[in-house]
Amino acid sequence: MRVYVIDNGGQWTHREWRVLKYLKVETRIIPNNTPFEKLAGVDALVLSGGAPDVASEAGRMGNNGEYLDKADFPILGICAGMHIMTTHFGGSTGPAIRAEFGRTRLYVDEPDHLFSELPKDFDVWESHNDEVKIVPEGFQILAHSDTCRVEAMRSLKRPLYALQFHPEVENTDFGMDIFRNFLKVVEGWHK
Amino acid sequence: MFDPKAFVQEKIDELMTKIPEKAIIACSGGVDSTVAAVLVDRAIGQRLLTVYVDTGLMRKGETDYVRGMFDKLGVHYKLVDAREEFFDSLEGVTEPEKKRKIIGERFIRVFEREAKIFGAKHLVQGTIAPDWIESGDDLRDTIKSHHNVGGLPKEMALTLVEPLWDLYKDEVRLVARYLGVEVSERQPFPGPALAIRVMGEASRESVDVVRDACAIVEDELEKAADQGKMVLPWQYFAVLLPVQSVGVQGDRRAYGRTIAIRSVESIDGMTAAFSRIPYDVLERISLRITNEMKANINRVVYDVTHKPPATIEWE
Repeated sequence: MRVYVIDNGGQWTHREWRVLKYLKVETRIIPNNTPFEKLAGVDALVLSGGAPDVASEAGRMGNNGEYLDKADFPILGICAGMHIMTTHFGGSTGPAIRAEFGRTRLYVDEPDHLFSELPKDFDVWESHNDEVKIVPEGFQILAHSDTCRVEAMRSLKRPLYALQFHPEVENTDFGMDIFRNFLKVVEGWHK
Repeated sequence: MFDPKAFVQEKIDELMTKIPEKAIIACSGGVDSTVAAVLVDRAIGQRLLTVYVDTGLMRKGETDYVRGMFDKLGVHYKLVDAREEFFDSLEGVTEPEKKRKIIGERFIRVFEREAKIFGAKHLVQGTIAPDWIESGDDLRDTIKSHHNVGGLPKEMALTLVEPLWDLYKDEVRLVARYLGVEVSERQPFPGPALAIRVMGEASRESVDVVRDACAIVEDELEKAADQGKMVLPWQYFAVLLPVQSVGVQGDRRAYGRTIAIRSVESIDGMTAAFSRIPYDVLERISLRITNEMKANINRVVYDVTHKPPATIEWE
């Protein structure tokens, strides 16, 4: 299986690459201005986080929008990757009422694909100033925290998933399981 | 997961072709650069000179420790005394990024001199993933310029070789254990060393103060871990704050500086949680610092911030 990580300049982009590598997936880190055609043959993408404020600095988010439009395979957006997915499909993001950094309790609302066989609530690690205000039409909220309503979401029409917290860092509980679950979705999609 | 044996074999092969002539390696005696030194030593042997720079910013007893460790390893090494040079260039500099860049440039100038004497064109560094990630690039914000990446001068005469580029600390430790390197379990120590554990100007005097405080923190936490009171933290040290506060020492008014104790649990340094040190251990550290260092310090605080939003070091 081939899953590339689109680099939006996150501190933990390389951690996403490491987790995928540990899960025996063929993976590479790809700059976010890479043309979609160059990604031929991938089975899925992870859109990394990054410093840009997606609402006001869309230019720094490169070709993420093109990938979201053209992909006929699963995509997992993380943090800024989630925000670009949100705004691209007509939802909205903005400064979080309360920023979240470090340990946060996550409550799973929909124990579907990404959270399958995981506890109803557990600790995750966060690092965000902005948050999803309105999820795009056709998207469903999958998890929340005490201070953030949209910690995870998915499209009901296409295999698009997004997380506000960071499953790729060591301090997040069950982070590797969330990636495993995503890879199961990818496997199922290509069957 | 990560296979140190395969990694070592792959890197030795790669280094043999990458370094056709002589090379020097910048080695602080920490886990990363020592592992890199052993790898390159296996690849090119006597064509490698291991260079340790005494910047004057190192921990108590560090230079002697490193000399003994190099002797045991049997690598071809040289210790360079650059203490005056480093302190002179840091004079009056208070901004953390500026301090880091000055130190990065100083290191390179020392290595250029040593490379010229030895006849080397390549400089090997023990750079690991967090160093270049946090240093920033076209896409990534600069969190802090690591001396070996973001702190490098624009013009330099040496070609860099960095065999550990994609690894994190936990993976480097696996390689270190596989290679039988004795420093495999040492706590991380930043390249700019004690200069970034003094907030503001890293003067000779301030560095001496924080060096003593670091030694006490290390001593007490290592003792507590040996006695089974706690697990040895991932990284633990003291930071000298410029904040002065009022105290009372033997019926006399005191107005001294503050030491912050920093101790964290981590795997890879990219996220970290503050350590839950037992109160009696914290008390012992506080008493020792305020009594043994009474001329400078009359207050000790404990940092209870995770990364993010803080970083592990304060600058």
